Amino acid sequence: MSLLEIKNVDISYGKNLTVKNVSLSLEKGEICSIVGESGSGKTTVIRAVLGLLPGAGRVSAGSITYDGKDLLNLTDSEWRNLRGYDMSMIFQDSGAMMNALRLIGDSYVEYIRTHEEISKEDAWAKGVEMLERMRLPDGDRIMHSYPFQLSGGQRQRVGIAMGMTYRPKLLLADEPTSALDVTTQAQIVRQFMELRDEYGTSIIIVTHNLGVAAYMGDKIVVMKHGEVVDRGERDYILHQSTNPYTKLLLDAVPTLGGKRYV
Amino acid sequence: MFDEKDLLIEARHVTRRFPTNDGRLLTACNDVNLKFYKGKTLGIVGESGCGKSTFMRFMVWLDTPTEGEIFFHGKDITKMKGAELHENRQHIQMVFQDPSTSFNPKMKIKEIVCEPLLNFNRISRSDMDAKAKELLEMVELPGDFADRFPHNMSGGQRQRVAIARAIALEPEFIVMDEATSALDVSVQKTVIELITRLQREKNISIGFICHDLGLIESFAHQVAVMYLGNIVEVMPGEGLSDICCHPYSKALLNSVFDVHMDFSKKIENIEGEPPSPLDLPPGCPFSNRCPDCKDCCMQEKPELVEIAPGHMVACHCCTK
Repeated sequence: MSLLEIKNVDISYGKNLTVKNVSLSLEKGEICSIVGESGSGKTTVIRAVLGLLPGAGRVSAGSITYDGKDLLNLTDSEWRNLRGYDMSMIFQDSGAMMNALRLIGDSYVEYIRTHEEISKEDAWAKGVEMLERMRLPDGDRIMHSYPFQLSGGQRQRVGIAMGMTYRPKLLLADEPTSALDVTTQAQIVRQFMELRDEYGTSIIIVTHNLGVAAYMGDKIVVMKHGEVVDRGERDYILHQSTNPYTKLLLDAVPTLGGKRYV
Repeated sequence: MFDEKDLLIEARHVTRRFPTNDGRLLTACNDVNLKFYKGKTLGIVGESGCGKSTFMRFMVWLDTPTEGEIFFHGKDITKMKGAELHENRQHIQMVFQDPSTSFNPKMKIKEIVCEPLLNFNRISRSDMDAKAKELLEMVELPGDFADRFPHNMSGGQRQRVAIARAIALEPEFIVMDEATSALDVSVQKTVIELITRLQREKNISIGFICHDLGLIESFAHQVAVMYLGNIVEVMPGEGLSDICCHPYSKALLNSVFDVHMDFSKKIENIEGEPPSPLDLPPGCPFSNRCPDCKDCCMQEKPELVEIAPGHMVACHCCTK
């Protein structure tokens, strides 16, 4: 049985059908990349998996099952037992998810203490340990910083550390590297790959960087206007796909030593 | 490699230091020397905070350097004032990164693209409709967009309007500050095609700030790599992946994810983050992250040395 199974899902915001008939399945330890242009519904799909559709958004048809559990009819307390432990999400700018007026350590301790009964001191130590495992040297200093005092790459690592605290089986990453420099992006991508190798985490990564999608993904899903237009193993999408939209996207990616316009 | 008589802008020893609240100095640009040639594109690449935008803002008088001179047609633009400055502003224009925040939301597209022309009395108000249509068609937008507002357009369309506004005065030089990084790849491609076509037709020089080496290689004639306020390498754009030799340029190249790369290859990247610009290292700015760092790199700052025509590098290891 697959870890996550999305079957023929429609998602609507009010009366507007935004995502149509999306299906996707993910095995344990597998990485799936969702690519597409802005507004193609990539983020909406993974937000639906975590039950985080904003405002009037709802899944209007289809089913999402995680480990045999139907995710569409969970109570709030069932969600609380799932989020953070079994699945977690990393956002585009992790700095924006943290309270700007509180120390990172305070936010992190609060996060840990909502998930397990533990003293503040132990929670702090656990946070420092996680940060250092995510290659943030001097975790204690990071815990004593405000989000604005860190660089974008450091903030993103804090987000990953928080998301990985309870070793979730499923990690949803929404454009985790698009706000970062290329060198930092490479560091973060490498860390994602290590998470899969060390903990067997399954990852869905939403990105519009086709290079990152191709490097990370075992399989790739291409979305356009709320629909899946192409899907398959990485090699199929990159080399064999005959879908005109996939070809257009691949052709538009600037490559080193590729086409020159001047 | 370029004809010296085509020299348009020359920056000499440009340095910018910002005072901080606690009395220290933050060095954003450190002794930058660059030359821009007519009808050519110079790409500047580097990580955020390396001073590439700070440097380009001097060109459009949004800031002035602490030290150094910038010559435009032989005159130092950093000292210009009054009528002379006003006259010269029309020759240098800028396209900003985020097209949704660089327009007044209450102005119509035709007012936006014609505002520079009205400022310099090139057209009268009654010609505005016709001129706006002509400019929009030049950037491959339908002429009837002239009566729209910026919020009625997509990001790619807005960036085309920003380009139309920049070329309205037929400038000799355009600064593009990450003009495509807010766009999708497919839109980015069409915008780059548009920029290169306009450059050929109007012989415009472009200073393009970017951090995607794959992109900059596809259309720049010359590429400068900046690190911590210093230019560490200047090289021809064509085939830069084969000729670049500064360890930082190589690190940038290795960080590019390419759809044609070998996916089994381990990502080799540099660790850590650049040092603080408040506290510059005495030697090579890259010494604390460089894999080949030697003793001399820690003590002595390398100068830019020409190692091939049009290719200069500041590194002790590459020049010896």
